[in-house]
This record gives sequence, C-alpha cells and structure tokens, in this order.
Amino acid sequence: MKHNKMNTLTRTLIAGCTAGMMATATFAEEAVITESFYPYKTETPQFEGLQPGMVINQDNVAQFKEVIDPAFYRFIEQGWTTITVGETTSFDLHPNYVEATRVSLGNVSLGDKVGEINGWQAGRPFPQEPSADDPRAGEKLAWNYKYGYNWGDSAAIYPFYWKYRDMDSGDVERTIKFNFHFLNYKGRVNQEPTPEITPNPSDLFRAIYVQVLDPADVRDTQLLIHRAADDLKRDNSWLYLGFQRRVRRLATGQVTDAFLGSDLMIEDFEGYNGRISDMNWTYKGTRYMLMPFYNHNELTLDSETHQDDDGYQVVAFSGKGGCFPNITWQLRKVYEVESVPVDESHPLSKRVHFMDAQTFTIPRTVSYDRKGSLWKTFTIGQAHPDHHLPKNKGSGVSIDDSFSMIDVQASHCTTGQFKGQVDPELTPTNMFNVQYLRATGS
Amino acid sequence: MQTKIKGLSLWCAALTGATGLTLAPLSQAVAAEDARINGFYENATYARDGVGLSKFRNTVQLEGEKRYGDVGIFSNVSVNATLRGTYDGVYDLNEDEYGSEAGGPIQLQDLAQGSVPHGGGLVVPGTELGFDITENPNDGMVVLGEHLHPQDNGVAFGVPVRPCDVDSRGCIDDYLDKDEDELRFQEFNDHLDFIRELYVDFDLNFDSGNVLSTRLGKQQVIWGRTDLFRVLDVINPVDYSRNNIYDELEDIRIPMWILKTDYRMGPTEVFEGFAFDDLNFQVVWNFDEFRPHDIGQCGQPNVILDAGCFFRGMNNLWENGGTVANFAGATPDGGLATDFGPGQIGIRRANLPSWKLSNTQLGLKLEGVYGDLGFSLNALTYRSQLPSLRGGIPAENAFTSETAVWPSLIAFDIHFPRVNLVGGSLDYYSQGIDTVFRFETAYTSGEEFANTLRERLYSESDVLRYVIGADKNIFIPFLNENQSFLFSGQIFGQHILDHEREQRTYGEAGIPDWEHNWIGTLLIQGFYMNNRLTPKLITAHDFRAQATTLAPSVDWIVTDNLKLTAGANIKVGDGARKFDDCRSCNPWDPFTQTPGVVNHQPGESAGLSGYEPLGRFQSGPIGMAQEEDEVQLTVRYSF
Repeated sequence: MKHNKMNTLTRTLIAGCTAGMMATATFAEEAVITESFYPYKTETPQFEGLQPGMVINQDNVAQFKEVIDPAFYRFIEQGWTTITVGETTSFDLHPNYVEATRVSLGNVSLGDKVGEINGWQAGRPFPQEPSADDPRAGEKLAWNYKYGYNWGDSAAIYPFYWKYRDMDSGDVERTIKFNFHFLNYKGRVNQEPTPEITPNPSDLFRAIYVQVLDPADVRDTQLLIHRAADDLKRDNSWLYLGFQRRVRRLATGQVTDAFLGSDLMIEDFEGYNGRISDMNWTYKGTRYMLMPFYNHNELTLDSETHQDDDGYQVVAFSGKGGCFPNITWQLRKVYEVESVPVDESHPLSKRVHFMDAQTFTIPRTVSYDRKGSLWKTFTIGQAHPDHHLPKNKGSGVSIDDSFSMIDVQASHCTTGQFKGQVDPELTPTNMFNVQYLRATGS
Repeated sequence: MQTKIKGLSLWCAALTGATGLTLAPLSQAVAAEDARINGFYENATYARDGVGLSKFRNTVQLEGEKRYGDVGIFSNVSVNATLRGTYDGVYDLNEDEYGSEAGGPIQLQDLAQGSVPHGGGLVVPGTELGFDITENPNDGMVVLGEHLHPQDNGVAFGVPVRPCDVDSRGCIDDYLDKDEDELRFQEFNDHLDFIRELYVDFDLNFDSGNVLSTRLGKQQVIWGRTDLFRVLDVINPVDYSRNNIYDELEDIRIPMWILKTDYRMGPTEVFEGFAFDDLNFQVVWNFDEFRPHDIGQCGQPNVILDAGCFFRGMNNLWENGGTVANFAGATPDGGLATDFGPGQIGIRRANLPSWKLSNTQLGLKLEGVYGDLGFSLNALTYRSQLPSLRGGIPAENAFTSETAVWPSLIAFDIHFPRVNLVGGSLDYYSQGIDTVFRFETAYTSGEEFANTLRERLYSESDVLRYVIGADKNIFIPFLNENQSFLFSGQIFGQHILDHEREQRTYGEAGIPDWEHNWIGTLLIQGFYMNNRLTPKLITAHDFRAQATTLAPSVDWIVTDNLKLTAGANIKVGDGARKFDDCRSCNPWDPFTQTPGVVNHQPGESAGLSGYEPLGRFQSGPIGMAQEEDEVQLTVRYSF
C-alpha cells in the first residue's frame, strides 16, 4: 500500500508539474502573441514633450531627433516638411491571421541558407521578440514582413495614381494611373479557399497584376508577376504592351531598374520586393519612432486627382516639391532592420528599414548608394481600415494609402495616391493568368 | 491646288456620323469608370536623301471603349472602336516625286544605240512587235529600279508613277489602283478603313471556373512572340506602304472582320502530377473578304521590294505594250531595246479571291504556361497575303501573232494561293543568366515562288521559318547609373525546302530567293529622365543580301500629352542583286533563242541575268531600300 501511495503521490506530483508547465507554456505563448499583435494593449508609447496634435517643424525638430529617422529628420530640419503628430492607435490585424500564427507557433524555423524556411503554412512565422544575440534575427523579421498580412489574402489598389515630380520646381512631370491587384496563393487565412488556392502548379506564394490606365503612351500596359513560394527562385513576369498587343515574358533579374521611369526600383515596392536571399539582414534594434499611421477619413484630402461615386478622395501632398503626404504620424514600436545586397554590383550599399512591429509593414525605408551616401527615402502611409472605405472596415489590413519616394540626389520624387480596396471581387483568380493579359488588352 | 476627293464627302459624313454616334453616349459618361474615349493627333514628317520630303502624314485617331459588365448570360461585355483618318501631304508638297507631276520621259539601254527613248525600241516589220505610243506615251514614268541601280545590260522598262486617276497606265484593278485622294487619305476607301477597329467582347463563365472569351468584329489578332518579323503573326495582312517594315505592327496591320474565341482554362491539371499554370484554346475565324498586304503602289514613297513598280510596269506592258531594254538578241553584253505589243508580255490581272465560305480563313491555337516555359501550338489555313505570279496565260506571239500558252513566257496573272501553316512558339526565362529566350517557328505548305526552271515560271515549296530571340537587361553604369539598357536580339531564319536552282549557260536559273537565309535584329534601348527620354537603336542585317539597316531614334515625352520622336533610317551594305531575268527563256522558239546557247530548247532559261526583275528577291526588303535613307520627326499630341 505504501508503495501504491508513493506511486499515487508521484503520479499526482508529475501530473501537477506537467499541467503547471503546460499552463506556463500556454501563458508564454499567449504572451508572445499579445506582444506581437497587440503591443499597445497595456502601454501607450510616450516621448518627452510629444503630444498628439502638435506639429514638429524646423523649430522644434531637434527635440524629437530620437524618434524620427535620420533622413526625415533632415527634411524637417531643412524646412521641407513637417510632422503632425496623431494619437497612437492599434492596427489590429485580422483575427484569423493572428490565430494562424498561434497555431503554427514554434513550428517554423529557418533553413540552412538565407531564403529557406521550414514549417510555415500561414500567419506570422516568427512572432517572438527579436534578440540582438540572434545572428539571424534580421532575417526572421524579413520573413515576418514577407509573410505579413500586408494586403490580406487579396486586395486591389483601384485606382492608384503615381506622380513624377521635380522637387525643385514642384512641376508634376507625369501622372500615371494604375490598377494594382494582389492575390496570395498560400498562407490564406480569410478568403476561401484557405490556406491555399489549388491547383497551384508552380507553387506560387503570391501574384501581382498591374494595369496602366493613363496616360496614353503607356495605356493598356499590363504586368503580371508570379512569385514562387521558393524564395530562391526568381519571379516569373509577363508584360503586355498596348502598342505591341503582345505578351512578353520579362527577365526579372534587374529588380533595381526604375519601374516605368519612376523613382522606385521594382525592388522597392511595399518597402522591399526582392528575394530574402538577395540581402544580408541585420536586426539593429527596437525603439519607438514616429511612423506614418493615420485615419484616412480624418485627413484633409486631395479633391482634384480622383473623384468617384463613392465620394472617395486620395491623400493630398504638399511640402517641398509636393513630395510629402499631408498625413499624421503616430509614435509606434519599430524594428530597425538593415539589408545589405549580396550582389556587389547592386546600386545600393544598404537599405535601413523601419518595420512597424504590430503590422510588419515597412512604412519608412532609407536607401544609401554605393558610396554610402543617402540616396532615396521611402514613406508608405498606413491608413486604419476602419477609417477608410466602408468595405475595408473590419478587414484587419493596414491599408497602404500614400507613398513618397524621394531621390535626394536627383531632387526628384514619385508620389503615390491610393484607393486601396480589400474586396475579393476585384481580384478574381483568373486575373492572374497570362491569358488574362491577352484577353484584357485591346 | 484645290483637290476634290472622290467620295470624300461620303466618308467624311460617315466618319462624322460614326464619331458622333460613338461620342454621343460616351460624352455623357466619359468620366465614368466604364466608358473611355481618347485619341491623338500626330504629324510624321520624313525627309529622304536625294528625294526630299517623303512623308508628311497627319493622323487623327479616336479610340473609345464602353463596358457594359454583365448582360444576360454574358459577363465583361464591352464595345471597342478605333477610328483613324490620315492625310499625307507628301503628294501635294513633293508632287514632282510622288504626286501628279512625278516621273517624266525615260531612256532605255540599247546595245546598238546606247539608249533609246521609251517607244524607240526594235520593231521588226512583219511581226507584232511595236505599240501605240499615244496610248503609252513617254512621260510620267521612271525606269524600273532606277533609284537603286543602273540598267547594266539587263532588263528595264518604263513604269508610270503618277496616281491612277492622273495616269491609269499599269494600275491593276482592285489591287494597286489608288487615285490621288486614296493616296492622300489612305483610310477613306471602299474597305471603310477609317473604321480601324470595331468589336464587341463578351465572356461566358462556366461553373468549372473556365471562361469562354469572345471578340467579334473588325480587329487585329496577334500570334507569336517576335518583333519585326512575322512568323506566326500572319492572320492580318499588313500595310507596308505606310513605312515599309519599320512601323509598329499595331499601326500597320490591316484589321479584318474576325471571330476570335478563347476557352480559358487557367491552371489545369491534365493528370495527377502534371499541371499547366495556364492553358487556353483559341479559334480564329477570319470571315472577312480576302485582303492582301498593301505592298505600296508605284509612285508612293514606300514600295516594299519595289514590287509595286515591277507590277505596274508589267501591267502597262500587257495593257499597252512598251519598250524593254536589252531584250532582243540579249547576251551578257546587252541586247536591243525591243518594243512589245499589248497582250504579249506583262501582268494581265490580279485574281483576288472573292468572298465565299471556302475563301475564309481559320486558325487554331493552344497556348499555355508550364513553369518557366510559355508555349503555343498554332495551325492556320489562310490565303497568302503576298502575290504569286503564275505564268502560263494565253498571250500573243509577237512574231507569229498566234495567241497561245507559251512556255516560260513572262506573261502572268497574280494569284494569292491558299497556304496551310503549322507552328508553335516558346518562351523561357533562364534565371542563371537572367535572360528571356523566345522561339517561334512555322512550317507552311502552299507558298509559291518565282522559278525560272518551270514553264509557268513559279513553283510551290514548303517553307520553314523560325525566330530565336533573347532579351536581357544590362547595366552600363557609365551611361546610366539608375537603369539598365534593354538588349533584344533576334535571328530569323527562312528555309525554302523545295528550292530549285541550276547552272545554265549564262548563269543560275531557278528560284531567286535564297534557299537558306537569316536576318539578325538587335534592339538597344536606354531610359533617361524618368523614362521620358528613351534613345534606342534598332539594327537589322540580312546575311545573304549583305544589307543592313540602322535606325536610331529618341523619344522625348515632353508632357503626358506631348511626345516627340526624332530618328533616322540608314542603310548600309549591298543593294541590288542580279538573277536570271528570263530574257533567255526562249518562249517563242525559234525567234527568241539566245545567242551563244547551244541547242536552246523552248521554254528553257539560259540563265541570262540582270538586276530586274528577280534580283529583288535576293536583295530583300532591306537591300531594295538601300537608297532610302531618311531622317524622321514625329510629333504626337494625345487627348
């Protein structure tokens, strides 16, 4: 009996310890999820002297140097623009994306080579806080961006205005009107089918379809990009040129080329549009910074560029050369990540990305040329989906809503004004087939 | 000079009406997302070395689209229209070269006298040689090929060059018979070419997700993956009179009334473990009345291969008779200029296929994407858009006055034979070298070629054509730090599989075209000022003709609406080439036996050669345009 009692006690103790450990583990896992997706749940970022509603300008910018990236700091210091501070708000991503992260927590790992990942199906692959002691922390953050909820499972920027501007004269040299459409083949968490669209013969991760509407010389140009799940593989791209009426497969190696003559390299899209394996990634630290997050409907908007039946208007631009969006900025938790091109002939020596910790969008990127001099800075304004188009409410997508790519060396910029729509009807699967380009071309 | 266009008022009214009809509904909805109307005005002014103004073309083009969305069982329903009208002022501003005052009296080479005027050739009493000079006067003419080569002891004859309402000589009914207004205002013709495109699109969606996508109307259907050369892209004929081979095909394809239906299957698993990323099956039915290429009428600035001049001169010989240089008693040292009578030699008529079901054209295409590979399989039964000259027509023997079919007599009708084509194309992106490769091939049967070994002076041959192309973007930092240059190269090969050639007494006879030939093209394009300044160089080299074109140009997009293009088109290398001209074909034996040829059989060529008329097939379109160097300025304002 004594033996039995001992056994029972032992079993009880073991069971209790195991349950305690499981509870502790579950609690730890939930803490990871909370910290990653709801960083402002318990604490609102603060910085001395910074208040919502205030304007940071040439006169007071020195006081806030710690929370402004160096390139934008310089712009304000020179009087080119100002920052209007808004209240920090939570940009909650879609709960299904959060749940997918929770389900796969701990199951995802990096492969031996940069660009290899194991075990990912959906959600944020590495929700844990990055560690400065982890030599691959930067790479993990890059994966979090790549597999982020960026535009959700599918969305359209419909339409999308790009303006090429002379920063000195303020002249708008060119206005290009696009439609952009995005579709995730894998990692889908919200729109049916989930988690993957099948058949998917080439094992695609994502596809992008672009149609140019104006001006006349590039009208009917269409671009289709297929991005493989295998990061080591280059994109397959096809271009339909209106004046040729023919679909041409593109060589996609030159991702550093300017896209349609804009100040953006193809590689710049959305903050970074290349392969993870094309860069060496370094995590530089976590801090609070002012970032372009706002409520679109509360801005003073551009009433001229776009009018439609929805009454929707796009973000206005002002400042030097009209290169700066009229938006508000929030103090937010940011991961600073540096990417250095593997290819020594790459025109950049590095990019410094300021990733938003909650959404894993890249609202600010600063690029340096081969000599290490500041070359370009990229701002992507993020609009809260609940204060945008009614159809975007509750989508859990941080809406890319405005951009400004400034080439400080050429004193030139390209600005972008969006009508982002999280609407699967605008993005049918058959839009991402090569034949669609031929069928749509006139 | 005030000119009145035949029927212009009708066409203007029609254009105005059509435009108005299009504009009326669109103007109300022009700002809406489902309607669009836009257009451009363009002036293209070209100057040619030694000629002066060669183009002063003013174009107004209107493009409209109206989308209706879902209509009944159909989705994505839309109507598209493109209207184009041009006025080329070259016929008024340089009328000495291309208009009503073009040409003049000519001299033709003669072994006895050095040269004689048109109408001053050999006439043998008691024969039917000779013609009525009042019906075919020595005026308003050029010597065939004179801009390119001397007569050089070969065949030559006069070619009328004035518009057909000014001078009807040599104008071939329904084929090459444009009057001055039809030259000035190209689109305003019996084919209603000012309605450049007018079609309706509609989709039928199936539960499987597949889509039957249809376009019905006047349209262009483009096959293939290559630039400049048409291997598979042969459904629409082409207007080469606009700018030879150098305009964008979109602007020079002649739209036809076509039904095009695609069954779009998207990603398709054929069997387990084998799936296409995209698969599509297309049926094309060209139910329009047949139209050949517009090869340019003699007297226009652009006459590809100078064939239009050869045809006009030959038709004039048939209709009116005329003087042919170096003909009677010809040897390599020349011959006597000879006056032929009507109905003896030349081109009698063009037999254009009339509209009937059996003359329509049908194409099938299976196209898809498999990983890094794009592919298509194509089949088409169509009519050759290039003319074939078939001999063997009844003609008068100039020596006996007997009318009969004579062997190897240079008396022809023009035909457009049925051709069957099978082919395919591939594209492939090689990641390792970051280069896209394009491949396109076609095998045709039914094409006809001039052949001086055959009694009817033509023969059929199967033909294999292909293009291998490669596209690569290359950074050249010292020229542009920000953007790479596009390099696009192509090799076009043509192999005449039933080629015939024989050595005869004075040279080779047979098919003048090269049995195997290749043309290489290279495009280099750079991008500056945010792509608003794009210099480019297009080169093309015909390996067998040893002829090269260099076409540098710069596009400057001044504003979103205004674009300037300055360029040049320069040819280097060899021009005219010689081949058996059938003077030694001995059709009217024994009167036409060639001196120095032993036992010369009737209808058998001795291979006596000259630049005209068959050397053009060896020179090709680049070689035949060697003397057509140009500087070019184009201004386009879009609205």
